[in-house]
Amino acid sequence: MKKAKSLFCILFFFLNISAIFADGHAKITISDLWISEAPASASVLVAYVKLKNNTSSPISLTNITSTSFSSIEIHRTVIKNDVATMERFSKLEIPSDSTLKLLPGDYHLMLFNPNKPLSLGDKTELIFYFSNESKILMEAEVKKRNINKSQHNH
Amino acid sequence: MIPAIVALSILATSIGFYISLKQSQNRLEQNNIVQSLFWPNPKEIVDFTTKDHNGDLFGLEQISEKWTFIFFGYTNCPDICPITMSVMTDAYQALIDEYKNIQIIFVTVDPDRDNIDKLKSYVSFFDPDIVGLYEKPTTENSLTKQIGVAHYNNKEDGKYIVDHSASIFIIDPKMRLVSKISPPHKSDEIIEKFKKIKRFIDEKS
Repeated sequence: MKKAKSLFCILFFFLNISAIFADGHAKITISDLWISEAPASASVLVAYVKLKNNTSSPISLTNITSTSFSSIEIHRTVIKNDVATMERFSKLEIPSDSTLKLLPGDYHLMLFNPNKPLSLGDKTELIFYFSNESKILMEAEVKKRNINKSQHNH
Repeated sequence: MIPAIVALSILATSIGFYISLKQSQNRLEQNNIVQSLFWPNPKEIVDFTTKDHNGDLFGLEQISEKWTFIFFGYTNCPDICPITMSVMTDAYQALIDEYKNIQIIFVTVDPDRDNIDKLKSYVSFFDPDIVGLYEKPTTENSLTKQIGVAHYNNKEDGKYIVDHSASIFIIDPKMRLVSKISPPHKSDEIIEKFKKIKRFIDEKS
């Protein structure tokens, strides 16, 4: 009986663990979040990130907040006829089972009015809100921008 | 005897083929340079008045006898502007030892939000040699009017966006706008293009 009880306990423990992991296997995975190092006087910074939708239906990024910035917006750099412009998005859809990459020269997060200058290696938190009601807090580190050396990079 | 003739004719054909291949490669290279060149009628830059990031006057005299690379942008543009500036800085640092008379200029197209102090902090972040220029794009003969593009979207909003030229422009030592390098910018390509453009212009001069 005692044996059965402890077996039950162990089983219960593992069930719990797996429940945690199942929950941990989130609907959205956020990775490679970084802020580009900028001059100390910059009033707008930029962040890049990868958003992975692990579900079979589309989920949208609806808002991003941080106590370090007055506001955060989703933008995309578009170059048409040698003229650069930025488009603003109120939300960004991540298609089912796919990863949306916010990368230099493309989609990016505009971080307005940092409340203090951020230098290389500094970390700050951003909160991502999604259309499925989920909310994810992520730490962003200030990193140096990689230089685009040549077209032959793979 | 016959094998010798066959071998000789194969050799001759190969040489002929090689020469024509080389010629077409050269033509292709010439075309590539010509495409990014404003030639044979490059625009001559006329006198303009701007202030540099130290507050000093900067005009035609400061671009004379130098190869000048110009990019138009604004400090509230955190994506494409620093990308281009980083690439230009990398090209500049690779070229400056060999070609002493080169300068990199960043012209703000957003004089309402940018100022001389902001420009100073901005350009020196990339390289202390880079020149930041402050001008009102609407001024007669402003560099923006002579070379670039600036268009303002919903300027009443404090977070307004400025559409601006994404190209890097090259002015030769005779103050002629000789070339435009279109994005996406890669430093190795800028270095290669500059060398070819310089060779081409030097030959024509």
